[in-house]
Amino acid sequence: MAGLSAIYPELVMIVVAIAIPAIYYTTRSHKILSTVSLVGIAASMGIVVQFLFDGARADTLEGGLLRLDAFSALFQLIFLIVAFYVILASYKYVQGERHIAEYHTLILMATAGMMIVASSLDLITLFVGLELASLSSYALVGFRKKDKKGAEAATKYFIIGAISSAISLYGISLLYGLTGSTMFTDIGALVGGMAGMDPVLLLALVLLIAGFGFKVAIVPFHMWAPDVYEGAPTTVTSLLAASSKKMGFVALFKIFLIGLIAVRVEWQLVVAVISVATMVVGNLIAISQTNIKRMLAYSSIAQAGYILMVLPIGTEYALAGGIFHIITHAFMKGGAFIIVATLSTVAIGETLSDYKGLAKRSPLMAFSMTVLLFSLAGIPPLAGFASKFVLFSSAVDASIVPADNWMIWLAVAGVLNSALSLFYYVRVIKYIYVDKGPIERTRLPNTMVAAVLITVIATIVIGLYPAPVIDACNAAARAFFP
Amino acid sequence: MLENVPILSLIILIPLIGAAIIFLTGKNAKATKVTALTFSAIPLVLSFVLLASFSLDIGTYQFRERYEWIPGLGISYSLGVDGISILMVFLTTLLCFLAILFSWDVEHRTKEYMGLMLILDVGVLGVFTSLDYFLFYVFWEVVLIPMYFLIAIWGGPRRDYASIKFFIYTHVASLAMLITIMALYFEAKPVLGYASFSMIDIASVSGGFGQVFQVAAFGSLFFAFGVKMPIVPFHTWLPDAHVEAPTAGSVLLAGLLLKMGSYGIIRVALPTLPDGASMLMPLMLAIAIISILYGAIVCLAQKDLKKMVAFSSISHMGIVLLGISTGSELGIAAAVFQMFAHGLITAVLFMMCGVVQHKTGTREIPLLGGLASKMPIATTFMTIGFLASLGLPGMVGFIAEFSVFIATFDAYTWILLLPIASVAITAGYFLWALQRSMFGPLTEKIDTSHIHDVNWYESVPLAILALLIILFGMLPSLGFDFIRPSAGIISGVLGVI
Repeated sequence: MAGLSAIYPELVMIVVAIAIPAIYYTTRSHKILSTVSLVGIAASMGIVVQFLFDGARADTLEGGLLRLDAFSALFQLIFLIVAFYVILASYKYVQGERHIAEYHTLILMATAGMMIVASSLDLITLFVGLELASLSSYALVGFRKKDKKGAEAATKYFIIGAISSAISLYGISLLYGLTGSTMFTDIGALVGGMAGMDPVLLLALVLLIAGFGFKVAIVPFHMWAPDVYEGAPTTVTSLLAASSKKMGFVALFKIFLIGLIAVRVEWQLVVAVISVATMVVGNLIAISQTNIKRMLAYSSIAQAGYILMVLPIGTEYALAGGIFHIITHAFMKGGAFIIVATLSTVAIGETLSDYKGLAKRSPLMAFSMTVLLFSLAGIPPLAGFASKFVLFSSAVDASIVPADNWMIWLAVAGVLNSALSLFYYVRVIKYIYVDKGPIERTRLPNTMVAAVLITVIATIVIGLYPAPVIDACNAAARAFFP
Repeated sequence: MLENVPILSLIILIPLIGAAIIFLTGKNAKATKVTALTFSAIPLVLSFVLLASFSLDIGTYQFRERYEWIPGLGISYSLGVDGISILMVFLTTLLCFLAILFSWDVEHRTKEYMGLMLILDVGVLGVFTSLDYFLFYVFWEVVLIPMYFLIAIWGGPRRDYASIKFFIYTHVASLAMLITIMALYFEAKPVLGYASFSMIDIASVSGGFGQVFQVAAFGSLFFAFGVKMPIVPFHTWLPDAHVEAPTAGSVLLAGLLLKMGSYGIIRVALPTLPDGASMLMPLMLAIAIISILYGAIVCLAQKDLKKMVAFSSISHMGIVLLGISTGSELGIAAAVFQMFAHGLITAVLFMMCGVVQHKTGTREIPLLGGLASKMPIATTFMTIGFLASLGLPGMVGFIAEFSVFIATFDAYTWILLLPIASVAITAGYFLWALQRSMFGPLTEKIDTSHIHDVNWYESVPLAILALLIILFGMLPSLGFDFIRPSAGIISGVLGVI
């Protein structure tokens, strides 16, 4: 088993995922199912954390298809944490539904797929991981078969997802045709060695941006996200926003910052423009939303715009900032969706006006939502501020080089958009604290409250003491660039 | 004895602990108020200790504290006060204590109200003591949240609009500051040879940055801090926020939050970017004069007592900027003294607006009149406040404005005639408002039968402030002795004597 140490975390997840239907068949107990899933995730997390503490270790799988290093381990940890709190919150949320075993298996499988993407060194491996995660999440979105909105969302998600996979696969095949290799580092070296700009490479570039653009929902490939986020069961939405989307970013980082770094000038400006457009469109449309899930979905689009900034800047520090923001966003946005799910169990709806007077009905959820929304807006001393600070400052850093002076505008666009986003976040907070609504206290399920607290406490603690996370992000960025 | 006590951290931390206690327990309104008052009184006592043990001979930072916070980025938890910030710390602890006392009759959501007041206290104290840009920015933004809620929950009829306008307007300005801080950090990094967000470290090398950079960075900082002061034309959030804010909120907004803006210019912008500052001095002078005159003239047209006081703040903060724009030791020292004076005086004015509103149910000057017969004590305080604000000799406002004008004459000679014209306008609108609202025959437009004089929790803060206004008016050296050495250091960096 010596050569397999690089995929221990994934193996644990897959084994548990496969075991779950059998366990459910024999015990018929939802409780045992959740416990086994959580234990499996915790075990996988243990391996990853132990690995992270090991410093500059890097284990490569036989054949060089996968490598577990500081970068991939950190992402795997994020995906595992998200899976952990989603399953914790799901215990009450999907109680009494049919196909509970499938639900858990699919979440674990999706997470395993994302983990493979994180550690992939090769386009084919990356694609396999991506499809594993995507196919699992299509089914998860349509988990409530009888729910019309859910079914519509799942159909839409599947069609969009399949098309985008096809587009990116076409791009990948062109890259392979040009370079004769599917390894990122080989592609990087060979593309660097090409004289001039091959039109085929340009086509591959466009296809890859479009294909992965759909996955991470950047403008103009973002239309599906609000519908899917709204229609999916809210715990699944949390998974989509907090980790599935982040997997797309890992793929983009790998392809663009390793494989295509040599032709950076060709795509730099385009991606920068897309990044700014994504922020602006996401934030502007979010303002007019009346459904909280849609509002959060558009805010996710805007946040994707911020993270996309990493590609044009392309420095190690920017990557660290991007990873940091991905981490904090996983807590903030995932947590916000879990709160929506939690409140839906006591018949508090999904429109913004349903949140009026929430402070009286559930002070804890009101406080948690406020913390998460302020953090999303980038108000210190919360985690979202710290990560935006690192991310935006990397643009300022890069702009010191005279040729890259224009990058300061990425930072300016970022902060202006943060101010814009404050408008719709604060409106929700105003509903929660200032406006009057029903006043009867609610009893919320403990497991869901625990899931919310994980995200809120992480948001506050990372905000107050970000040093260890920043160090981990820096180490990950160092490991990423060969 | 004091060497080993982190006194500044204590001053910041104690209100925070108070807020935590209130949010977690506060069922009983009375107990909540007592807790809030106690936890705002301790920092006040500590600030007296601070003043007493501050050594006046050196203008540099004292009571330094420094702990690593995010070492990877060169961010530290670093505190210290010089002669400028120590006065602001004193003003903050004092006004916060008095504002909480003044709010003794708040019955609507008392727990949240008192908790937010204390968090506001934490934020402002943090701004005045931070010596690290990151920390400074964190505290700067922390101030916004409680203020937003204070306006949005306890505010007047248009509170929705005013609170969000306040929040977004000042947040945009903060973000301009954030970008500039980042730029300073990355410019300084190669020169220093290490990453540091320390204000002192960056200021030690930033004087050598290129002129284009300095002008751009100074302009951006000036905008960021100017919005907070506020300067014309970025002042429009202020009247809205003030008119809608609850009385204690207005007191802290005008008394402390506006000072954060001018403090930022003095502490950060001037010494860090001296070349940019001297290039933009004419702009600062022009904006100062416009703010002074515009604020004063608009006051004449106000019917709402509180709105008038709010606009008078714009005029008076213009005088602060005028002092700063001289760049001289006297000018900067006088500007700081004017900040202090305005903090004391404007607190009285806003408290009086609150008293009038509370007792009569309106602040419309045309509806008022002859209230002196019904509320003689209140009228006395109002007269003291108005006279101090229009710069009557013997009170703190006179010394401050007079010093600014001397410094202006030194620097710009006869340009002084423009801002000094505002003195006449100021006297005009204050005396006219006083005449119409308090004196003359008793109004018949409102029901005056139930009007009674000030309550104890209103008169005590007013009396303390009135005493301080006169004390510092008679003995201005009590303040100037602290300020001058530190102001001298800043004007030394600017190269102006």
